[in-house]
Amino acid sequence: MSTISPARPWRTPVWGGILTAALIAELVWFSAINRNFFGGGAGMLSQIESFIPTGILAMGSALVILTGNIDLSVGAMAINTSVVVGAALVAHVNIYLAILLAIAVTTVIGLINGLIVTLLGIDSLLVTLATQFIASSLAVSLAGDSPPSGFPDAFITLGEGTLGPIPVIVVIFVVVSVCVALLFGRTRFGRRVALVGYNPSAAKYTGIPVTRTVIGVFTLSGVIAGIAGVVLAAYFNAGRSDSGLSLLLPAITCVVLGGVDIFGGRGRIGEVFVAVLLLGYLTQGMLNAGFSSLIASMVTGLLLIVALVIKIAVERPAGATLLGALRHRVATRVGTLVRKR
Amino acid sequence: MMSVAPALSPRLGRTGGGTVRALFARRDVQLIPIMVVIAVVSGIANPAFLSSRVVSSLLITAMVTTLMALGQTFVMLTKGIDLSVAPILGLSAVIVGFQAQDHGLPLGLGLLLGAGIGIVLGAGNALLVSILRVPPIIATLGTFTVYGGLQFLVTNGSQVNTVPSEYTRFGVASFTVVPGVPWLLIAGVIATVVAGYVLRYTVFGRSLYAVGDDAEAAFRGGIPTTRVTFVAYVVCGFFAGLAGVIYLMRTGAADALTGTQTNENLNSIAAALIGGAALTGGRGNALGALLGSIFLSLTLSAMGIAAHIPDEWQPAGIGVLILLAVVADPRARQGTRVRSRLRKKKDGTR
Repeated sequence: MSTISPARPWRTPVWGGILTAALIAELVWFSAINRNFFGGGAGMLSQIESFIPTGILAMGSALVILTGNIDLSVGAMAINTSVVVGAALVAHVNIYLAILLAIAVTTVIGLINGLIVTLLGIDSLLVTLATQFIASSLAVSLAGDSPPSGFPDAFITLGEGTLGPIPVIVVIFVVVSVCVALLFGRTRFGRRVALVGYNPSAAKYTGIPVTRTVIGVFTLSGVIAGIAGVVLAAYFNAGRSDSGLSLLLPAITCVVLGGVDIFGGRGRIGEVFVAVLLLGYLTQGMLNAGFSSLIASMVTGLLLIVALVIKIAVERPAGATLLGALRHRVATRVGTLVRKR
Repeated sequence: MMSVAPALSPRLGRTGGGTVRALFARRDVQLIPIMVVIAVVSGIANPAFLSSRVVSSLLITAMVTTLMALGQTFVMLTKGIDLSVAPILGLSAVIVGFQAQDHGLPLGLGLLLGAGIGIVLGAGNALLVSILRVPPIIATLGTFTVYGGLQFLVTNGSQVNTVPSEYTRFGVASFTVVPGVPWLLIAGVIATVVAGYVLRYTVFGRSLYAVGDDAEAAFRGGIPTTRVTFVAYVVCGFFAGLAGVIYLMRTGAADALTGTQTNENLNSIAAALIGGAALTGGRGNALGALLGSIFLSLTLSAMGIAAHIPDEWQPAGIGVLILLAVVADPRARQGTRVRSRLRKKKDGTR
């Protein structure tokens, strides 16, 4: 195994360090300007609750992006689940059955995504752009005019209960993150994901089942989106029917801010985890400070762009030095125009 | 100049040879019979569908999309994508709308202002993508939220609802050249012709195809790839800005969620794809964008008016159309590394 795995010696997670420093600075800052923010530790944990569904989605998206694909349908799938689980609960279906049913729906959507991407060979961006809108149409038409709400207490505990001092919702997020991190870092499947993203043809010639890996990743993304949707429904005590865009954008932002290469192959789940906390507290801190959610997401977008520009400036793609890149830039600039003389 | 063109991109689907087969291999030509069939079937299902009023209003709706799709085509030719066109449209509609509503900005100046806003915002995208080399999808996803936030800041909670009649009369379905042909269609056709001329007969246009087809080869061939990509995003912003004013003319209203709410991003991408553009770059043309938009508008209207499918299924309809458009185009199925690899495997086994 070690002979065919890509050389991955221990690298100091520089980006993770920067993110952690930023997170600590942010927490100190918010605690300083808002005395209620810290709330004795556990209070601080509950601050991030509303961001947790997005964080869970980010974990699924991270896997997909690591293979060099992208899944734009995660937000809509989560929305879909929240409506399905809601409708099932309102119809007095057993809680576990309802949850399983809802997650099964997104699993199937994820599987379909994977099948279309691999077997028909269509760009995942287009496939998931399409399924995103199909999934949200499904959700909207299922929800009708009034999304399902008013769930049994046992279900709401999932969203609002605490386990000791820690909110259940945070526990779920941590469990999902740890599972994804172990899957990516410690299993054969995870290694395949990285290889497929790093260099698909090399992966293929090493005998890695690329098609199966990609399908698996999209299906997993569906499962995780389903979990996020259940959490969403439990947290808001209602199904939500919209385009899911408000979940998708921050989820992708988390992944990219977490240092995952958008072209696949490189990234650390741990850093994505820190990025989720960073963005979650930033969003919540801004909302607490009285900013509108649109402004908060605007800052998120700015952060995404700035982080990427910094990252691209610091970490050149393999082989290209900063100097080489600059020279390329200058050469492009002064390159002769193909102009009619 | 002209002699360079075919060499730069031999598989553009130019009808130079003039064979019937070559003509029907063109996406824009394929679309016309399908549109006729949809129109006829819908007309039989519900005769009101072919009334001058319905046709006129669906064409007006298509014109907003046409402008967006024209811009999107420029960007997609370079192998890029612009997900920020919706808030660019929104910002332009809101700013021009407020100026028109509160200060009586004349239509001509309104169009100029809208285009200017689009150019500035497009230049923001261009800076990120071509100079700072941020992947287009991420860069424009970021600017999507930034421009959306700006739009919210500009509206400051209020909305545009009474613009001068000078604007709205063009958006009314009954204001037509001949019944069924609204004045806005003329504007859309002019924009298409201009964009088509630029794409087909100018050095810049040919460079777009070259860059999208093979950026490395284009660079080595002396094409200023950075500059070409930069201008492509600016052009896309320009069209989205103009589309914002057209949107304002059509609806007479605009608010903080204009553009984003009606999925203008999806519409523009779908229309460009249906018209024959491909994410893999180097393919697509202006006529395709126009026909793709009309096709989209026609299909959605047919879904609603003739087939009585509820409105909430419209996004799903667009989604299915995107998939069909790509599936129906074998050449579009190449691009990312995974897929080209799979393709090789399939070819090898056959």
